[in-house]
Amino acid sequence: MKTKTNFSQPQKQSLLGVVVMFANTLQKSVRAFWPVLLIWLVKFESLNKVMVFGGIAVVIVVIAIVSYLQYHFFTFHIDEETNEFIIQKGVLNRTKIAIQLHKIQQVNINQSLIQRLVDVHKLEIDTAGSDKKEASINAISHELATILKERLINHSAIEKPISQEKATKELTSLLKISLISLIKIGFTSNYIKSFALLFVFFTTIMENLRQLPDNDVISKDNIVNYFDKFSLYFSIGLGIGIVIALVLIVNLVRTIIKYFDFTIQISKQSVLLSYGLLATKNTLLNPNKVQKITITQNFFQRKLNIITIGVHQASSDAEKVKEKDQIEVPGCTQLESDGILKLLFDKLPQKGALFLPNWRKLAMNLFFLLVLPIVISLLVKLNIDFFTWNEWFIYSTIFTFFSGILIWFSYKNYKLFVSNDFIIKQNGAWDIDNAIVEPFKIQAIATQQFFWQKTTNIGSVTLSTAGGTISFSTANYSEIKKLVNYWLYQVETSDKNWM
Amino acid sequence: MTKFTNEAIEINELPKFEEVQLKPLQSKYFRVIAVNICILNLIIIAIFGGISYFKEDVFSNQIRIIIGFLVAFIIPLSFLLARLSFNKKSYTFRTHDAIYRDGLISETTTIIPFNRVQHVALHQGFIARKLGLASIELFTAGGSSSDLEIPGLLLADAQIIKNLVSQKINPSTEITETSSPENIILAENENKD
Repeated sequence: MKTKTNFSQPQKQSLLGVVVMFANTLQKSVRAFWPVLLIWLVKFESLNKVMVFGGIAVVIVVIAIVSYLQYHFFTFHIDEETNEFIIQKGVLNRTKIAIQLHKIQQVNINQSLIQRLVDVHKLEIDTAGSDKKEASINAISHELATILKERLINHSAIEKPISQEKATKELTSLLKISLISLIKIGFTSNYIKSFALLFVFFTTIMENLRQLPDNDVISKDNIVNYFDKFSLYFSIGLGIGIVIALVLIVNLVRTIIKYFDFTIQISKQSVLLSYGLLATKNTLLNPNKVQKITITQNFFQRKLNIITIGVHQASSDAEKVKEKDQIEVPGCTQLESDGILKLLFDKLPQKGALFLPNWRKLAMNLFFLLVLPIVISLLVKLNIDFFTWNEWFIYSTIFTFFSGILIWFSYKNYKLFVSNDFIIKQNGAWDIDNAIVEPFKIQAIATQQFFWQKTTNIGSVTLSTAGGTISFSTANYSEIKKLVNYWLYQVETSDKNWM
Repeated sequence: MTKFTNEAIEINELPKFEEVQLKPLQSKYFRVIAVNICILNLIIIAIFGGISYFKEDVFSNQIRIIIGFLVAFIIPLSFLLARLSFNKKSYTFRTHDAIYRDGLISETTTIIPFNRVQHVALHQGFIARKLGLASIELFTAGGSSSDLEIPGLLLADAQIIKNLVSQKINPSTEITETSSPENIILAENENKD
């Protein structure tokens, strides 16, 4: 065990890594040459089969050799003297990546489908700073990966081995999100995202079908004929029903595949998340890196007692913010959510003094999102006789009704809570988001006022953090200024590290 | 608001950012803006001129007259707007933060505390260099939306500000202080050439 955990000597990946590299390279080659492959496939009859299969065999052998060489020349070790983690790779072009241990922010252990099949893991190292060097080890056994990860993160562990042991022993608190919670979440969230996915999916399929020659199956006439059998309203209802059912199913499947077996391990210093049905993802959350937390709940979810927590971490690269540093914890109960928040913030966020937007926010939203669209549709109606007055009246009533409700609730829910330690902004019409930021994590503050807002003393404020922004608009400008002065005071006097 | 006062700090006695007198940019900087607008206008005129010269039938004479009027109207307007928004641009450096205000229709005041600045950059465009001007850009970890660029500073001022801020970021690197006057002299020499 001792010899195995010694990383001071350059060592290779797990031998099974050859398989992973082979699969990766094969995938890349197929992706690069798929037009050629497609042509071959179509003209399969007329081609010399010996040539085709011979060619494929040669390519596979070459890829296998390249993969083996890549495996052979890939080594990694920790240089104890310079305190650097060093990766050497490349067959012809030798590359040496050296990462200073104290710059390592996060180490993730993930598993793709191929890696899962051969039971190896991928270790990714995320560094601070804008250098875009990506360091990852593609094939490593889980045991070794865990030890290496511990070593990389607690690089000071050599000096204080006891404290590290303590930390691992305290890894007691375990939280699992049950399948039932996931099903609940799947049924109650992300409607729009799934709908968009479905929409894109069907439009691409339709587009492709249209391009096929002699397509009798899905011609427009057929569909029209089919729907003519039913009455108009019935077919509209049927269409809506099918769409809703599809959205729900897609939602459910997506949620379960992505978040299956969601486990949160809470140790004293960090939170370890692991989830996924096909590809397992492991992410380490460092409470210091967390900049912004959003708690989302809609009406159904409140009834079902499930909460989604979005954790926005400081990202090393401004462009890549989206994927890696935003972690979602789907479907925990109020109690579990409190536990996570307590861990990340040391205490439960308190909703402090309440600030509300001016009524003009409601007026503006009503004007731009309700009155203006209706006026435009009226103008369109007057110029082009596209639909009858009756239809226009029905549609605009429906639109007014829904839009009005959404605007009213989004105004009603628009609130800012400020306490000494937390800024909480609530918004949303259906999904109600609560974004929580600690004042000392603010990076920059911008106040903004339109010239016509000067007489009514209205303005907005935007707080930038390393994990996203929070803005509160159309509120009392002198109160905003007071708050800004207070936050500036907090930022400029705090000696706490924002990361 | 009363909930804040439960600590010893009186919120009304905190320094008020909105009452700080902001400094205007160097008036020379407007020349840089003017040159940029000229170039933009010339490009637009050149495009229209080129199209109507080489493809005579694209525009009818009526449209040509309208375009002519528009150009005659837009060019002075663009200068007027640029002047007004230039007058709006102002900045100041307090002990702990940098404040920059701009915007004609929507007035934005951006404040960046020095202890959140990641690094400082000094930029000099071609025309600005001829005029001895420079701009300072403060980068924070809050992404590109929270970076702040203050244009139209005298090069010497910009150098001083840059060194001041870099010292605030890294108090240990006091060597920069000794090197800063040389830098300024060097830069000034460059200007004379």
